[in-house]
Amino acid sequence: MALIRCCFEPPELPEFFDSFVQKCTDPSCGIRLACHGPFNQMTSPPVSQSMGIASNDDTDKSMDDWPGRSGGAMFTYRCIHVCLPNPSNRCAFPYALLGCCGCCSALRPRYKRLVDNIFPVNPEDGLVKSNMEKLTFYSLSSPDKLDRIGEYLYQKATKDINRKRYKLAEIAMEAMDLLLQACHAQTTLNLFVESFLRMVQKLLEDSNPNLKIMATNSFVKFANINEDTPSYHRRYDFFISKFSSMCHSDAASMRDSLRLAGIKGLQGVIRKTVSDDLVENIWAAEHMEKIVPSLLFNMQFCVNVMFVKKNLLASGDLTPVEDATNVTPPVLAEEVLRELVGRASFGHIRSVLKPLLTHLDRHELWVPNTFAIHTFRIVMISIQPQYSYTVVETLMQHLDNNFKSSPKTRTSLAVVLSKIIAIAAGESVGPSALDIINNLLTHLRTSVSATSEITPEESQYQEALINALGEFANHHPDYQKIEIMLFIMNTVPDLSKKSKGDQMLQNILLKSLLKVGTQYSTVSFEKAFPASFLQPLLKMARAPHDPTRMVVMQILQALLDRHQNEQVLSSVSVKSYPALSQEPPSRSDIIFTHKYGADIMHALIDSMALSDRVDALSSSFNTAALLIVEMSCNETVQEFLLFILGIQQVANTADTLGIVHKCSLHAISIGLLVLISRVSGINNLLEYAQKIVDARREEATHYLPPLLEPKKMSGKNLNLSLPHLAIDKLALGECLQNAGMDAQRLNTGAPYALNQTDHPGHRHSWVESVSNQLTQRNSSADLTVYNGDGDSVSSSPGVCKKLLAPEFNFDAMKRALAEPTEAIKREQRERQMQIVRTFREGEFDDLIRRTEPKHDLIQNRLNELFNSLAVERQITQSDTKAASLQASNEKPIYETNFPELFYY
Amino acid sequence: MEDYKFLFKIVLVGNAGVGKTCLVRRFTQGLFPPGQGATIGVDFMIKTVEVEGEKIKLQIWDTAGQERFRSITQSYYRSAHALILVYDISCQPTFDCLPDWLREIQEYANSKVLKILVGNKTDRDDREIPTQIGEEFAKQHDMYFLETSAKEAENVERLFYEIAAELIGQARSKDGSGSAAAAAAQRQSEGSSIGLGSLSAKAAQSNCCGGLASGGGSNSSQAD
Repeated sequence: MALIRCCFEPPELPEFFDSFVQKCTDPSCGIRLACHGPFNQMTSPPVSQSMGIASNDDTDKSMDDWPGRSGGAMFTYRCIHVCLPNPSNRCAFPYALLGCCGCCSALRPRYKRLVDNIFPVNPEDGLVKSNMEKLTFYSLSSPDKLDRIGEYLYQKATKDINRKRYKLAEIAMEAMDLLLQACHAQTTLNLFVESFLRMVQKLLEDSNPNLKIMATNSFVKFANINEDTPSYHRRYDFFISKFSSMCHSDAASMRDSLRLAGIKGLQGVIRKTVSDDLVENIWAAEHMEKIVPSLLFNMQFCVNVMFVKKNLLASGDLTPVEDATNVTPPVLAEEVLRELVGRASFGHIRSVLKPLLTHLDRHELWVPNTFAIHTFRIVMISIQPQYSYTVVETLMQHLDNNFKSSPKTRTSLAVVLSKIIAIAAGESVGPSALDIINNLLTHLRTSVSATSEITPEESQYQEALINALGEFANHHPDYQKIEIMLFIMNTVPDLSKKSKGDQMLQNILLKSLLKVGTQYSTVSFEKAFPASFLQPLLKMARAPHDPTRMVVMQILQALLDRHQNEQVLSSVSVKSYPALSQEPPSRSDIIFTHKYGADIMHALIDSMALSDRVDALSSSFNTAALLIVEMSCNETVQEFLLFILGIQQVANTADTLGIVHKCSLHAISIGLLVLISRVSGINNLLEYAQKIVDARREEATHYLPPLLEPKKMSGKNLNLSLPHLAIDKLALGECLQNAGMDAQRLNTGAPYALNQTDHPGHRHSWVESVSNQLTQRNSSADLTVYNGDGDSVSSSPGVCKKLLAPEFNFDAMKRALAEPTEAIKREQRERQMQIVRTFREGEFDDLIRRTEPKHDLIQNRLNELFNSLAVERQITQSDTKAASLQASNEKPIYETNFPELFYY
Repeated sequence: MEDYKFLFKIVLVGNAGVGKTCLVRRFTQGLFPPGQGATIGVDFMIKTVEVEGEKIKLQIWDTAGQERFRSITQSYYRSAHALILVYDISCQPTFDCLPDWLREIQEYANSKVLKILVGNKTDRDDREIPTQIGEEFAKQHDMYFLETSAKEAENVERLFYEIAAELIGQARSKDGSGSAAAAAAQRQSEGSSIGLGSLSAKAAQSNCCGGLASGGGSNSSQAD
């Protein structure tokens, strides 16, 4: 068709011949020598020679066979002749002779004619639809031609582009699209795709933006096709380079559409390559360094736009409907980034993150960090969850690398970290979690040690890090929070180091500990305060540095406070605490109190004696008060009373304390007494406490809360010799006894005193074997001290007697007699475990103290026994057994009161 | 078939405002855009030239000089055949930055990449860097040297043609001979980005007769 047209348009004739001749010399051309005839000597040797080479063997033969040989038709004849090497087709020749040039078109291979036919006479008319259908049908029915159709279309388009006939090139592209869509199931598609991609590249190379956009659309269509046969040799680096540069396009009129096209193209490349390991590795640095910055560059404006839009929306200037439909480059870029990150496997995450971080660095997008947060949120949300902690790690590494940059940048980084760390926290468990914590702590440490004095920016940075830590811990289950706290505790430098830097570090680390602590909701104290955590913490509670101590108190408060009483008890007072909420402590809490309560209270007394600052004292009081509220019950009230007496004693006896400090301690002790009497509900005690309060109110208000400011009071003379206003130990004991409670511990035990170091727990391996039998056996030695119960379970320190299950009908009794139910068995086991634990973990002295008054009888007997043994020993000196006994005799151990269990 | 024998990628680098984009546009489009704004990211132009009777396709990647785009522009160095390092002869700082650029090239580009130092804007009167100095610097760092003016179209053609000639020489010496097969192989390995290479060429050749046969067959049936 096109050829015919060419022939009848004289001005274009030379061009037509040019192309024809060119085709003849082109080795891939299907028609050779077509136009030589009319202008050359028909039988010129070179031509015929080349003809002979080019055509099949039977060509020469058929030339001789031809009957109607005439000079005028000779050219045509030759042309036909070469084109139709197959003799069986020769019947077509006479008809073809009718026109000189028209025949050429008819004699071209059919696929070329079909291709030519789809182009309209007038380029503005667009693709000739009906002919396109014919071409499609043809390529479907003879798929082996597909590759040559593609090749031919490409050549046509190349020529059209070179001649700036863009419309025709667009039509060619459109035709290729349609063919691709129609034939994507064919196996020969592969070769067609090569032509297709070359076509796309050709269009992209041109500077015409419309062609670029069109090519991109075609490429995207291609990317969405699933190819059956892999093509290992196909490479995409031109497309990646070109699409990336289109993402940055800055052309005035088409900017957004070109950018959109670029992003779409990148998306296409990603889709095409990401799922197949055998094709080009999209994750290679050279590609990612183009793709990621291009996407970010487009997203960058999104955030700004978003904020502008938000403001506009807020002010009512913009209706939210309008931007719902049209996709803008930022939106699409974000989508592609999500897709990319979502498809990244573990090994590839870093190759995405690295250019991302570099881009943020280069474009200085950390301060302000809205965009960074936005981007990292996207990454965290779309990443496969199991890899999310890698992002955190990478970000922290980046923080490492940035340690020299301005504190502002680092603060921003840390803030970004704290914003995303929560998303990662859910997935990271065990070592990786601690690793992250460790990393954060290292940053804190370097930050503290690097700077001699704290600038506001630096402290902001530290604050941000601590926040990140808190955020991270917050999203962990409670058992891991404890682990984290333990871990942090272990990194705190101990008190022996007195340098300023260490003190600062202590403070910072404890602050981070507090952050974690406040996230933890205590259920059982035993779990919240493992010994390895509690001991160092209590050591820190004796720190000479006031702020450090106060942070420790805050940590203790955070962990002790199960009923949100912290605010109620924040200052020392003797009021009635109506807002207090409490519930009786559980069994394990009581055990905990027996085990560690004394340690905590010792530490509290020490901390109270260390400073007379009101805030420090108040926070110590707060901790003590919370301890009382959470743990007081009939069994522990004596300990607390001893504690209160201890505070008072310190106030009375310690010479080093200032007057105001002493008053404060008195005030604290009365405050605590009032509190405990309220909490424990012992009316006698409450009356006694009220009496003291009233008396003090009349005679010595400085003995009552509120605490006195040491500086204001320095000049005043305060009367301290007021023994009648003190809390009396004997009176307290009476109160308890009148309330029907045991007061022996109170009467015999000494009040808590200063500087009592904690005793390491004794462990005795035999306890278990002994206690196993305990439940079955009545203790003959037990003198029914605590509850008047002969069962040794109840006599065991710290363990209440468990009541029977309340099921008392005949059957139940019978069943119970016949065999213990599962529940009972379990209960027994639990009880046993508790006893075992009490004895194994409790302190020896504790046990002694708990049981000391009960066994005078046995003690006496023992003494007798030892005495008699001693007599015996004098008689039989040579006995070795006696010698060892002597050795034990020399130890004063047996003179102490053994706990009853130790007798067996 | 493609209408070129070799395809070479050329990347222009240098400080912002030294005239990289103008050089490229002068060469590819033959015009000097007076109010050219700063390039964002990377720009792309293409031009086919003929050297020694061979058609050469030059893919020219024009990078942004601004610091903030450095991360993306660096990624383009890697696949370049030639790097044109541009400075402004009337602006000392752009010359002072050359060692930094060389360091960057060292880090990101192919070690065998062809490097050309170009002092642009020779049309300006306020020259700050004498030709001699630029030449010496180029010699020191094993680069070719040329002074150009995009405005006056001075030496611009020469710059690109010489690069093309040099690259052809390199390609040929690498292949041993200048045969067409070697050139095709060269193009496949380095040039054509979709890597069609000899595969499709061979397919086209072997199919040409078969294509004629079926074409003739359909021809006859249509004639009937």
